Amino acid sequence: MLVQIAWRNIWRNKTRSFVVIGSIVIGLWASIFILAFAWGLYKNNIDESVNRHLSHIQVHHPEFTDQQESKYVIKNTDSIISVLQKDDMVQSASMRTIAKGMIASPTTVSGVTIYGISPKAEIKQIGLNQNLIQGDYFASGKDNEIFIGEKLAKKLKIKLRSKVVVTFTDIHANIVSGAFRVGGIYKSKNLSLDEVNVYVQKQTLDNLLDLQPSESNELAILLKDESALDSYITYVRQLMSNQKVEDWKDLAPDLELVIESFNLYTYIISGIILLALTFGIVNTMLMSVLERIRELGMLMAIGLNKRKIFFMIMLETLFLTLIGCPVGLFIGWLSVLVLGTYGINIAIFSEGLASYGFSSIIYPALDGQNYFTVALMCLITALLSAIYPAYRALQLNPAESIRKI
Amino acid sequence: MGKTIIDAHNVSKTYKETAIPVRALQDVHLHIEEGEFVALVGPSGSGKSTLLNMIGGLDEPTSGTVFVDGVEITKLRENKLIDFRLQNIGFVFQSFNLIPVLTSRENIGFVLQLQKVAKKDREKRVLELLREVGLEEKINSRPGELSGGQQQRVAVARALASKPKIILADEPTANLDSKSASNLLDIMAKLNKEEKITFLFSTHDQRVIEKARRVITLVDGKVDSDVQQKPT
Repeated sequence: MLVQIAWRNIWRNKTRSFVVIGSIVIGLWASIFILAFAWGLYKNNIDESVNRHLSHIQVHHPEFTDQQESKYVIKNTDSIISVLQKDDMVQSASMRTIAKGMIASPTTVSGVTIYGISPKAEIKQIGLNQNLIQGDYFASGKDNEIFIGEKLAKKLKIKLRSKVVVTFTDIHANIVSGAFRVGGIYKSKNLSLDEVNVYVQKQTLDNLLDLQPSESNELAILLKDESALDSYITYVRQLMSNQKVEDWKDLAPDLELVIESFNLYTYIISGIILLALTFGIVNTMLMSVLERIRELGMLMAIGLNKRKIFFMIMLETLFLTLIGCPVGLFIGWLSVLVLGTYGINIAIFSEGLASYGFSSIIYPALDGQNYFTVALMCLITALLSAIYPAYRALQLNPAESIRKI
Repeated sequence: MGKTIIDAHNVSKTYKETAIPVRALQDVHLHIEEGEFVALVGPSGSGKSTLLNMIGGLDEPTSGTVFVDGVEITKLRENKLIDFRLQNIGFVFQSFNLIPVLTSRENIGFVLQLQKVAKKDREKRVLELLREVGLEEKINSRPGELSGGQQQRVAVARALASKPKIILADEPTANLDSKSASNLLDIMAKLNKEEKITFLFSTHDQRVIEKARRVITLVDGKVDSDVQQKPT
């Protein structure tokens, strides 16, 4: 019957109960939304980096990673690529030649990383064609086309079809230069990369570097399903045992750190929201206890021990939480579902966000486990908040309580 | 001479919460036998409620001892005391007697449930008690749907539920009109007579005092007079 009393008690003052339920709903929704928004922000950044820049797996000559010199190549990459491209687990595989050098316009120079790419293979990987804001993707058929980022174009004060000279050292340590014409200007979601990465045909860069067409500095493999990464990387390591095979987490430890720090920061923020909820519940439940002092005294007088009174107050909070939690979860889930589909456009911050590699349209996302964790945190918070009011009820002396008006 | 049911020796109570300590009871001696129907009277602040609280184990005396049915309740620990109250003492207060969210049936059944009485027996006893106080038709009414007098009658039924030896009533008729008060007193007197339950109740009401067979008057926390009378 204690359960029955507790349940009915919460409906004695409907307004107050709805205030508590409302706080729980808003607290839970806000926590879910913040988690989903933050995860959407980071996930976008990670996806962009993995899908458009790193790919899931990269293979380099063991010396290349440290030295960054084009002479450290993987041989016979054309035959390896054709094997990988036929694999069912592989979305796309491509080979790249990379050189570090300078790009010069008539007015200024800038340090760049020149990527020699196979245009067709990279459609599914770097996806330069999708990011072009001017020009067409290797459409002229000429081999001296160069594709540069909008930010770099502004820095160099050049336009589409402008002429630039790219200078770097070949594999024999000779300084070589190549004249290129801007075939396209792109704008990706990562402005910091747009300023340093330029793309030319692999064949053109190979010729300048004096590399064979079958030689490459980098193999990039994009998988169909990221969950197969661990097993597939083992296979690639066996296939190319002399080379350095790394997954995207090895290549960009900062991204992994982002995921780890995401959990910490967002839970701290959720914790702050739930702390505010604590005060709301403590206040309301305390009011509810203090209003019923005489009644609680009467209950003690007729034989209800203090343990049961404590349990009754805790039960009342539990019921309010059990009503609020599913509602908050549902609204949170619905918000994430709708906004995750249509996105949140925060264009006014786009310049700032893009410079950190973030997109201006955020698609909130949250996995099931996080919903569960937040709901559990909310439940624990609510029950912890009820301890003080319930404790106050325990401190009541039946005779004094009955005397109170 | 009957069996002693309440025996208070040198009971004193001083409230020290205020700047000037208040002596609510001073060396009170009280001896009540089983089946008595006793009115505790006196002006406001004379210590009536305090004495009832001491006898009911709701409060501890500053000094002195209280025996109820041979048990020194002043020595009982809290949980034992709650259990003792549940089994032996019924309470009727001036107001806020009933659990507002429960019906008459549930209010009475609640005490029986605390005593772990089986559901079937509980239902039977609830009906029996409501019949005794003449409120069978209000079995499913919540306190808010009952008049003050009806609420007090349900409270008496609830107090009787555990078949206590004593019923302590603190100004049970204070908020009732004369007809309801008289009705309640008649029920209490009938239960006292038929079931030999000891009643000790505090009151200001002269009509209630006239129904008692023994009247104890408290003045300034001391027993001023203790007289047997023939009830009207």
